[in-house]
Amino acid sequence: MRKLFDFPGGVHPAQNKQQSNPGKVLELPLPQRLLVPLSQHIGAPAKPVVKVGEQVQKGQLIAQATGFISASVHAPSSGTISAIDAFPVAHASGLEAMCIELQTDGQDTWHQDIGSADANTLDDQQIRQRMQAAGIAGMGGAGFPSSAKLATDKPIHTLLINGVECEPYITADDTLMQVHSADIIAGANLLLRLLDQAKCIIVIEDNKPQAITVMQQAALEHTDIEILVIPTKYPSGGEKQLIENVTGKQVPKGGIPADLGILCQNVATVKAINDAVYLGQPSIERIVTVTGNGVKQPGNYRIRIGTSVDYVLQQCQAETHANPVILGGPMMGFQLPNTQVPLVKTSNCLIVPDPQELPGKDTSMACIRCGQCEVACPAQLLPQQLYWLAKSDAFDKIEQYNLMDCIECGACAYVCPSQIPLVQHYRYAKGMVRQQAAETRQAEHAKLRFESREQRLLDEVNAKEERRKARAAAAAAAQAAKRAENPGAEDPVAAAKARLAEKKAAEASAPPKKAAEVQVPANHKDLKTAAAIVRTKLKKASKAFADAQAAGHDNTDKLQAMVTELEQRSEAAAKALADFESNMGLDPEAEKLAQVTWAKANAQVRKLTKAAPDESASDTEKSEHQTALTAAQATLDQAKAHLDSIKNPSQEAKS
Amino acid sequence: MMTLFSSPHLHGGNRSQRLMLLVLAAAMPGLLTQIYWFGYGTLFNVVWAILVGLLLEAGVLALRKRPLGFFLKDGSVIVTCLLLALALPPLAPWWLVTVAALFAVLFAKHLYGGLGNNPFNPAMAGYAICLIAFPASMTVWTSPEHYFDLAGQWQWFWQERGNIDAITQATPLDAMKHLQGKTINEMLSANPSVVHYADAMFRVNTAYLAGGLALLALKVFTWHAPGAMLASLGIMAGLFGAGEPDLYASFSDHLFLGATMLAAFFIITDPVTSATSRKGKLIFGAGIGILVYVIRTWGSYPDAFAFAVLLMNLSAPLIDQYSKPKAYGQQP
Repeated sequence: MRKLFDFPGGVHPAQNKQQSNPGKVLELPLPQRLLVPLSQHIGAPAKPVVKVGEQVQKGQLIAQATGFISASVHAPSSGTISAIDAFPVAHASGLEAMCIELQTDGQDTWHQDIGSADANTLDDQQIRQRMQAAGIAGMGGAGFPSSAKLATDKPIHTLLINGVECEPYITADDTLMQVHSADIIAGANLLLRLLDQAKCIIVIEDNKPQAITVMQQAALEHTDIEILVIPTKYPSGGEKQLIENVTGKQVPKGGIPADLGILCQNVATVKAINDAVYLGQPSIERIVTVTGNGVKQPGNYRIRIGTSVDYVLQQCQAETHANPVILGGPMMGFQLPNTQVPLVKTSNCLIVPDPQELPGKDTSMACIRCGQCEVACPAQLLPQQLYWLAKSDAFDKIEQYNLMDCIECGACAYVCPSQIPLVQHYRYAKGMVRQQAAETRQAEHAKLRFESREQRLLDEVNAKEERRKARAAAAAAAQAAKRAENPGAEDPVAAAKARLAEKKAAEASAPPKKAAEVQVPANHKDLKTAAAIVRTKLKKASKAFADAQAAGHDNTDKLQAMVTELEQRSEAAAKALADFESNMGLDPEAEKLAQVTWAKANAQVRKLTKAAPDESASDTEKSEHQTALTAAQATLDQAKAHLDSIKNPSQEAKS
Repeated sequence: MMTLFSSPHLHGGNRSQRLMLLVLAAAMPGLLTQIYWFGYGTLFNVVWAILVGLLLEAGVLALRKRPLGFFLKDGSVIVTCLLLALALPPLAPWWLVTVAALFAVLFAKHLYGGLGNNPFNPAMAGYAICLIAFPASMTVWTSPEHYFDLAGQWQWFWQERGNIDAITQATPLDAMKHLQGKTINEMLSANPSVVHYADAMFRVNTAYLAGGLALLALKVFTWHAPGAMLASLGIMAGLFGAGEPDLYASFSDHLFLGATMLAAFFIITDPVTSATSRKGKLIFGAGIGILVYVIRTWGSYPDAFAFAVLLMNLSAPLIDQYSKPKAYGQQP
């Protein structure tokens, strides 16, 4: 007996599996219209290879897989293609997607190329080809193209076949195992043959005793296939949970089961592989559980891919006016906003519950962080913390709490005493995180484009410059060659240069124009102004020169020349001023001093005038004040006379 | 169109009210034992605190324009007020209970945004504010031998009339703290009433322990916080008690005197204010145990749960930051 392990968290919801009578497959009449989506799998949508109005046979390829992770689509019955267009598909938001619409002709005739084969005569490559051509995508719900999963280059030692079916209500895999056990075992053997050296474990939850018995019977003669029974606990059918349950090992974060040497396939997928290889039949049908108290004839129905949900519910006499329709299980399935949508390769269950059966939630209450969700979470997350972060849009932080590892199993919301729709919050936050990541990628892309454009423009400018230089060099070379041919001729460039040098020399020898102006001043004031103007110009030029040098500019020699010239002019102007002053007998220092003396005397007089004593003052005070004022007035007059004499020496001479 | 619901469409039937009712039920043995040994005061406290709390809650909900019936029936305010009343001394008068409930419900709970948003344990915040503001009234405990009859308690509760000197007594933890030069054994043999008191407290604590274990069995909370708290308090008491048995109260004294079991299973298990992850709860509980021992032994209060819990409430966000569980499949 194999030792079983456990996985963290999990819940035990009521199973409700008996009302769909597992173990019996019911058939439905062929619908008149089938709507086959081009994308029923993870990866690139298939590309249509038929045209509207074209006749197709059952099993004929109607859309080809594009790329490695993709799956082909085949006609589920014979008939006429009536449209290739966007139609609403099974999605929580009522999304539209490209579909091929097929009007069946009721003949249901197989395409001529569909034929059985003896697997023993096929080589491994042929087996893989037949699998790939059949367009099989994981039928447990994820829809990962099986051929891509099988093409791993990692060594696989264990093939885990998932017959757990842990969601309540669903019995499609249970039924399949009871009815098609031999096909499943044959399919498993095919996979084992391809995997080389691997052993196979078919895992079934202990709530399916009939399926376990039948499968054990079927596997009896196959020593490398083991039927393993595990205890019922949701979500033990999740790939990672299943692996831990069986091996005790956790799939590394961000990794895949193949990292542990394990390959997982759903039982329905394995059966489809069997059909593809032995019978040549592509993936065009599956078993769907139709159940819930709103369904009068619940059961497991074999349906063609593309059958409308509406059609199935009508045939099963489901009451859908007042009741919701859930596609998938009650834990992870979603309510269909529109039942005019097709069932696809991954659709395993339709539930039409009555209002008492799966009541809509009461208004949710405040989160009290009770931690029941943490105990239930199979992904070892902190659902209560994720909820608070999602509610406050803290998307950076929520990633640190490993939001993206959430498998949306719904165990947290199932146990939440405050009835908070936790998974909805996580889906929202995941969407936002993805969107932000996409925006970041776009911004980086835009930045790269901008930078490369800048570089391109710069390169163009540089190239132009290079070309110009090359042209100039070529021209010079040509000129030199010409000269060498004709040494006697005068070089026009050298002649022009010589003329220019001559002109410059003449200008330099002539006296500067401005200096001449300074030499014939109108009067003292004009001389002063001229000197000041030249000083200012010199200051500016010196500063410009210093700045240019500091900045490392090239043409500083011109500036330097200007500065030198201005220095000379400034000196000349200053000298002219000084000469004029000395000629006129002016002495600027003495004038300044006299000015100060006069100002002081003036201030003294003003002060005394202001501080004149009023009527009430004594006679002594009045006379004292008068004396002081007179003395000050005299000083002021003296200073004024002195100042005037300095300013205008000629007047003094005259007087 | 029909309302669309997000998955899961199944619910386990667990309700917040159920959790609150279970907590209330589990506290009953403790409440009755407390009344039996320490008089009707606790009963008065409980009834009055819950009345005041419900009125305040209704008032705040009306002010915040929230549906009254929906939120009142979550039962959280009843639990808060019950725990507060159990912690208050049996001789608390009406105004003291009112102030404590008012602070707990208005300040500690609703000013922070109501249920689920409060960083501090409301019952302990209400208790602590009264302990600081009215230390005299908050430290009178009835002796298990004498307490008021129903009429006497009624008179005391409303008018503070009655001779309480005859019925009050220092608690055992208090007596062990103020040894006045004696060893613990000398003190105990000199004061048989302390021994009797300790015996009563032991019974009360056992009743709370029983209720707490029932909640644990019903998975209302996990073992982490109470387990870590009792372990750390026990280890501290065991170490010091074994080293200096004359001066330090023993292992069993610390676990079964004072508010230890009430706090371990009813106070620190408040999910809103404790650390989030199970690992975090271990740190949270251990911190409370150590703080309680330190304050009981070297601090100026004979019992210290209110302060220890509030201090660890304060640390909870930091603990959360460093106690995130590993992601599934993450290598250690």
